[in-house]
Amino acid sequence: MKIDESLKRLEEITKRMEDEQLPLEEAIELFEEGINLARGTQEELRRARLKIDKVIEKAKGEFSIEDFDLP
Amino acid sequence: MLEEKVYSISELNRKARGILEGAVGSVWVKGEVSNPKRAASGHLYFTIKDEKAEISAVRFKDSLIGAAPPEAGTEILAYGRLTLYEKRGRYQLIVSIIQPAGLGALMLAFEQLKDKLNREGLFAAEHKRPFPPHPGKIGVITSPTGAAIRDIISVLTRRWPALEVYLFPATVQGEAAPAGLIFALSQAERFSQSHGPLDLIVIGRGGGSLEDLAAFNDERLARAIFSSDIPILSAVGHAIDFTIADFVADQRAPTPSAAAELIAPDRRELATTISTIFRQLINRAKLLLEQREQRLARGLKSYGLILPRRRLEALSQELDLRLTELLRSIKDVWGKRRQQHSHLKELIHRSDPYLPLRHGYSLTFRAGSGVPLRAASLLSVGEKIESRLAAGKILSQVKEVKQDEDR
Repeated sequence: MKIDESLKRLEEITKRMEDEQLPLEEAIELFEEGINLARGTQEELRRARLKIDKVIEKAKGEFSIEDFDLP
Repeated sequence: MLEEKVYSISELNRKARGILEGAVGSVWVKGEVSNPKRAASGHLYFTIKDEKAEISAVRFKDSLIGAAPPEAGTEILAYGRLTLYEKRGRYQLIVSIIQPAGLGALMLAFEQLKDKLNREGLFAAEHKRPFPPHPGKIGVITSPTGAAIRDIISVLTRRWPALEVYLFPATVQGEAAPAGLIFALSQAERFSQSHGPLDLIVIGRGGGSLEDLAAFNDERLARAIFSSDIPILSAVGHAIDFTIADFVADQRAPTPSAAAELIAPDRRELATTISTIFRQLINRAKLLLEQREQRLARGLKSYGLILPRRRLEALSQELDLRLTELLRSIKDVWGKRRQQHSHLKELIHRSDPYLPLRHGYSLTFRAGSGVPLRAASLLSVGEKIESRLAAGKILSQVKEVKQDEDR
């Protein structure tokens, strides 16, 4: 999942930036990546719409996926 | 006869009570309720009977809180302590639990199955699979028309809409329900293999009576859940505490809504998390920059930078030196100039044209001119000339001009 991956990466970035030996150039790169990821994740979540599909197995292993609307 | 012990009634009843309580104690009985009466004290008196016999029963007020009094004619399972009411010499059951008889059978079957599966290790913690912290694709096995899917959708939409939900419709009630649920589970597993893995499967339904939930206490379903490749979250409504499915599932939620909350983090929490990460990133960046500055400051003092600094110092010294030299040279120049100047003054002083006059020399000018004459040839006979002595002037007229032979 995209957001999940972003969060994982953000966690990595914050951990990495705790390293005092981190070269400044790398720290700046990580910082920029982190800020962009955080912004992107927020935006992605703001735009996200729950996708609900009803799965019907026509024949064994043969599925049809239909949009599911609540009755 | 007289040697035989004569009991008082009280003694006899007390003895009979002791025997009864000791020999029988607490038991389950099954029978039909008749003649229930609530006394002024709040205690409930009734009779439990079957085709051939009956027994007095009492349910004390304290144990009645929240419990509906049994109706006459209902078949019940009652759990109680057999005792004897000494005052009346009547033995009776002091009932603490009453259940409909049908329910009792279900409960018994439930307990037996639970014990069996537990002994087999189906509920063991080591078989519980963890859920991904933020699932992306989830399967839901429930009725497409029930409350469960509605509640799940509503909670997910509110909390975490970045999800794909795949509904595998199944009947959740009635005789066909266990087989239907098991089939839906197998479909979900096949779907997960062919259409990309599902992160987890929610299996459940809304609340209902124990009979309604019977499918979720089915042994075959329990085994199907146990052998599923995909982590399973059971979400059966809250009529009773647990179902067998709850015990065997990897995680259990008390309601479908709770299951959705368990799956999906609140996006508001995420917003908080992200702003925390933002702050952390900014703070880290600041800190790193500050550390660099400090290190730079320390570095200037450290060995690594001694050389350049020395060089700088040397340069600066040289500059100082050069400046000093320059200044000195400027001073020298000025000094020399000054010397020259004084020398010049002396020279000028010494070359004072009037000075030789003191020694008897004189200066001669053409009359009216300020320029001393240096050659006689410049004069003509008859011209008036003026001679200046150390003291006074002589005015003369030229009689003859003679030139030096060798000049």
